Amino acid sequence: MKLLNKIDKRYVLTLIICIFVALLCGALIMLVTGFNPIKAYQTIITGALGRPRLIGNTLEKFMTLCLLGLATAIGAKGGLFNVGGEGQLFVGALISTMVGLQLSSLPAPLVILIAFICAIVVGGFYAWIPAMLKVKLNVSEVITTIMLNTVAIKVTTYLVNGPWCSDLVSVSKGTDYLPDSLRLTKLISASNLSTSFIVGAVFTFLIWYFMKMTTVGLQLKLTGENARFAKFSGLKSDKIMVGSMVASGAICGFVGMTLVYGYNGQMVDTISTEFYFDGMLVAMIMNYNPVGIIIMSGFFAILNTGATMIDMTMGISTQIYDIIFSILIFLMAANKGFVEWFAARKMKKQARAIAKEKAGKESI
Amino acid sequence: MQDTIVRFENVTMQFPGVLANDNVSFDIREGEVFALVGENGAGKSTLMNVLYGINTPTAGNVYVKGNKMEKFNPSEAIANGVGMVHQHFMLVPSFTVAQNIALSKEPRKGKIFYDLKAAEKATRDLVEDYGLVVDPKAVVEEISVGLQQRVEILKTLYRGADILILDEPTAVLTPQETDELFNVIRRIVKEKNMTVIIITHKLYEVMAISDRVGVMRKGQLVGVEETKNVNERILASMMVGRDVLLDKVEKTGTPGDVKIEVKDLHVTDNRGLLAVRGVNLQVRAGEVLGIAAIEGNGQSELLEAITGLRGIEAGEVYVEGTKINGMDPGKIRALGLAHIPEDRISTGVSVQSDITDNLIIGKEKRPEFSKFKLHLKKSTIARYANEVFEKFDMRGAGVDTKVGSLSGGNMQKVVVAREFSFDTPVLIIAQPTRGVDVGAIEFIHQCIIDKRNEGCAIILVSADLDEVFRLSDRIITMYEGKVTGEFAEGEIDKMGISYYMTGDRSGETAGGGA
Amino acid sequence: MWDQIVSLFSIGLFQNTIRNATPVILAALGGLFTEHAGIMNIGMEGMILTGAFVAVVFSFTFASAPIGVLCAILIGILIGLFFALFVVKLKSDEFIIGMTLNTFAAGVTVYLLRSVFHQTGSWVSKDIKGLPAIDIPIIKDIPVIGDIFSGYSIFVYISWLLVIAVWVFLYRTPYGFWMRASGEHPKALETAGIDPVKMKVLASVLCGIFCGMAGAHLSLGYLNCFTEGMSASRGFIAFACVVFGMANPPKVFGAAILFGFLQALGIRLQSVGIPSDLTEAVPYLATVLMLVYITVMGANKKRNRAKKAMAVEAEAAEQ
Repeated sequence: MKLLNKIDKRYVLTLIICIFVALLCGALIMLVTGFNPIKAYQTIITGALGRPRLIGNTLEKFMTLCLLGLATAIGAKGGLFNVGGEGQLFVGALISTMVGLQLSSLPAPLVILIAFICAIVVGGFYAWIPAMLKVKLNVSEVITTIMLNTVAIKVTTYLVNGPWCSDLVSVSKGTDYLPDSLRLTKLISASNLSTSFIVGAVFTFLIWYFMKMTTVGLQLKLTGENARFAKFSGLKSDKIMVGSMVASGAICGFVGMTLVYGYNGQMVDTISTEFYFDGMLVAMIMNYNPVGIIIMSGFFAILNTGATMIDMTMGISTQIYDIIFSILIFLMAANKGFVEWFAARKMKKQARAIAKEKAGKESI
Repeated sequence: MQDTIVRFENVTMQFPGVLANDNVSFDIREGEVFALVGENGAGKSTLMNVLYGINTPTAGNVYVKGNKMEKFNPSEAIANGVGMVHQHFMLVPSFTVAQNIALSKEPRKGKIFYDLKAAEKATRDLVEDYGLVVDPKAVVEEISVGLQQRVEILKTLYRGADILILDEPTAVLTPQETDELFNVIRRIVKEKNMTVIIITHKLYEVMAISDRVGVMRKGQLVGVEETKNVNERILASMMVGRDVLLDKVEKTGTPGDVKIEVKDLHVTDNRGLLAVRGVNLQVRAGEVLGIAAIEGNGQSELLEAITGLRGIEAGEVYVEGTKINGMDPGKIRALGLAHIPEDRISTGVSVQSDITDNLIIGKEKRPEFSKFKLHLKKSTIARYANEVFEKFDMRGAGVDTKVGSLSGGNMQKVVVAREFSFDTPVLIIAQPTRGVDVGAIEFIHQCIIDKRNEGCAIILVSADLDEVFRLSDRIITMYEGKVTGEFAEGEIDKMGISYYMTGDRSGETAGGGA
Repeated sequence: MWDQIVSLFSIGLFQNTIRNATPVILAALGGLFTEHAGIMNIGMEGMILTGAFVAVVFSFTFASAPIGVLCAILIGILIGLFFALFVVKLKSDEFIIGMTLNTFAAGVTVYLLRSVFHQTGSWVSKDIKGLPAIDIPIIKDIPVIGDIFSGYSIFVYISWLLVIAVWVFLYRTPYGFWMRASGEHPKALETAGIDPVKMKVLASVLCGIFCGMAGAHLSLGYLNCFTEGMSASRGFIAFACVVFGMANPPKVFGAAILFGFLQALGIRLQSVGIPSDLTEAVPYLATVLMLVYITVMGANKKRNRAKKAMAVEAEAAEQ
């Protein structure tokens, strides 16, 4: 009950209404383009949760969205906007793959551990660059991270199709496949869900724990909310900001590794198709609230996995997912804008009423 | 010469929560220099923004040359011949002087193209006509502040203004530039029959330049006088009003060791200009040093330098005997200093966080609140926050209320509660009761005096002179970054001290009241 | 080796440079308006993509390239207004809206392509009428020059003229001054009696139009087809060009040509065994370095000015 009190009820209500309207818009689009929306939404549900294999895929998608959303949230809570998660994910995936391929003679658990450390270190480092540029030189981190994304993706594309490309004829593109001993065990057979889900869940818990329950989270939150207040209170706000960005990059690097070790098995230039931006948008919708991100990731994971099914069975393109997603964000932004606009108008009116009342009294 | 050109009729300007102008009525005559004086927040700028159409008054009327203002937008004001030079210049930095002057009224070639040559020529003509020398082709961001101000004046003249409002024009000028500005004002009034309204709080300027003077206090017009009938002392007393008889507070104990020492301190402001110019001061344990100054005279920068929020250009600051030059606020706080900042919303709290988080920050690593300096003991913290909440009599839904939704008084109590509970020997306090309700004021004053009696060394800066007088053991006045006077308790009264706040009186005999 | 290098610089390289640069030039010129009006516009990607799609749809439906182009411009105006509604009127975060606009455009175009027009991947049809190639008289007869500068679709020439037109608009008309003022110091414009909001909306709409043209050129300029994700980061490259060219039309044009050249060179270099992906990464890295340079220079300039002011003051005090 106490937890319920803490939740901004109005926000949750608007969110629910906006989701409803967004789904309605999606239904309308399907209707206009000649599809049965009710059947489509039914198929989405069964396509995401109907069979164990599908549930596995949904859960995997959920964890990816959730971790990437939380990565955005950590950066944003510290006051920096990490748009470069996609690039950090790529470098993390790349380095962990190469570690796996190079060290495959060592015992598997050790290799996986080294790959894990490399992924988070390199991912973190790739976020450290724009963070330092922002804190030391005040260079907009939004633009630099956008640009560094493409740099990472292009360079990775070059490497996995060039010098590190597999020589095997059976591999059409990308690097060699990791040996089976390094591939993470599947939790549900034939699905994408592997033991990385467990590690991801631990990560999720730790992120939530750090953000909500520790001195670090408190300091991070206050720095992001009001950097001047943080400095005034004696916090090392620069270090906190850089640290939050590095943590954000490290998580993205880890996600990159799970994509390779979890189910893809090799590094390709399409290892992520803008997964980070999906996670980022989830985080934005939820105002960077960790619990909210976890819940909303579930919702979008179902929509995402289910969209594949309606594509296959009904011929409705999976992009309906992106459409509903973006409509929801537009609705949330519009709602916020209108609420603030009305509030400002109301304030003005009130001021006028007070003045009139006063003037009235004086003239009597 | 004596025709009324502007008339304010019962003008009231109510902002949410603040009554900035309260039923103000007066006339301004054609061809005069009218000075509008008052402390910060007296409502001078608000009133002039009404005349320039930036603010729409919530009640009352304004007439310019007999025309009643209807729309209250700058275009209407410009059409009425009103021009305003704002305190913060309204110039586009990357444009040239001529381009800024012509902005929105550009001369054109063939309807759509901008005739830049014509704009430069028009500027040159104005420069010659009014004798305000400035290069039309210079880029605004590369010329001095004094010249920028000339551009602002020329801008209004270009628009055909014959009523010129200058909002604290000398705040950014050197003495020579001020002299030049005054010569310009005299000339345009005499030769071009312009009307000039000048907002200021430097009283010698009022005496030097104006024909008549209006004094405002707390949103109300106190009076309008012929300048030749008043002097600086009279004006100063009109500005601050009578001494308010607050209940005496009980002060006990005697001053102890020196806790804060400032030696020949120089600090720059955000623009990189010197705001504090060679300040020396000492504060002892069990003593409140009050600093009386009108806003913008270096007192904010002084406190920021002492607390580590702002770099030190030259000079030294010692807290508890340790030199703090180059230290960050965290380190200085660790020496035993706490700080109530002048702007609580931007500096003193995080409005998005709840009361608990705002109270605990700075103490979160203490063993009673966290395990291993990491895991927050939420229930202990909640208990602590509730205790403080009760003790400081904050009103709100509870400790999980967002600070942003609190009233000014309760928000300030959050700041006071947090900073005072550090139990530090040194306290730096700025504007402790600004925008705070009467009940909370009394409470906060008592807290400060309790701290003093416990042996804290306290520096208090306040725009509220009654507050400074009530709480201080010693008072210094600051004017343009320098200390202009130092007085022991009871040595001077409010009217006397306002005289030292409004000008450099070092050439005159010290002490004495009005 | 030398022969190989020389062979790289064929006429085809320069033709490809111009082809690659044109949509970027158009979009970047659009981005100049929003940049000067103080809006960080990263939604150009979506604007281009929508323009490309709409141009193809209407060119197909009416079997007319001009109608396709016109509709691409109209949709550009609508998106510009939509963007302005959020960013200027409702004061939403420009980054979120830009990003979402990109996602939305990518989603809607592919959805309609697959589910309504039943095409997957790309849409090629002889009924999609493209813009004719235009030869410039006299120039077309000059050897080499004629091949490099003549024989493109109309938008190539329009983009060159627009560089001048945009420069004239921004620096030689009052409206350009108002637009720049609305971004640099909106209060100054407001107190001068002009509503900065109007200028920002105008900038956003102009950007929509230019991106619509960029899209139309992309789909009807020489390929006459629509491909999923056809904009292929050109919106981001255009944004990078605006930063790289310090928001000055000729410099932005230069940046776009440079980026187009790198792209064309990259494709050529592939034949020598150097992959194009590396050359394609260069513009983005260069933009980061340029941004750092601009920011540091700006800060230095400010610091020097303050120092100068202090020195003047000190001098005055001594006298």
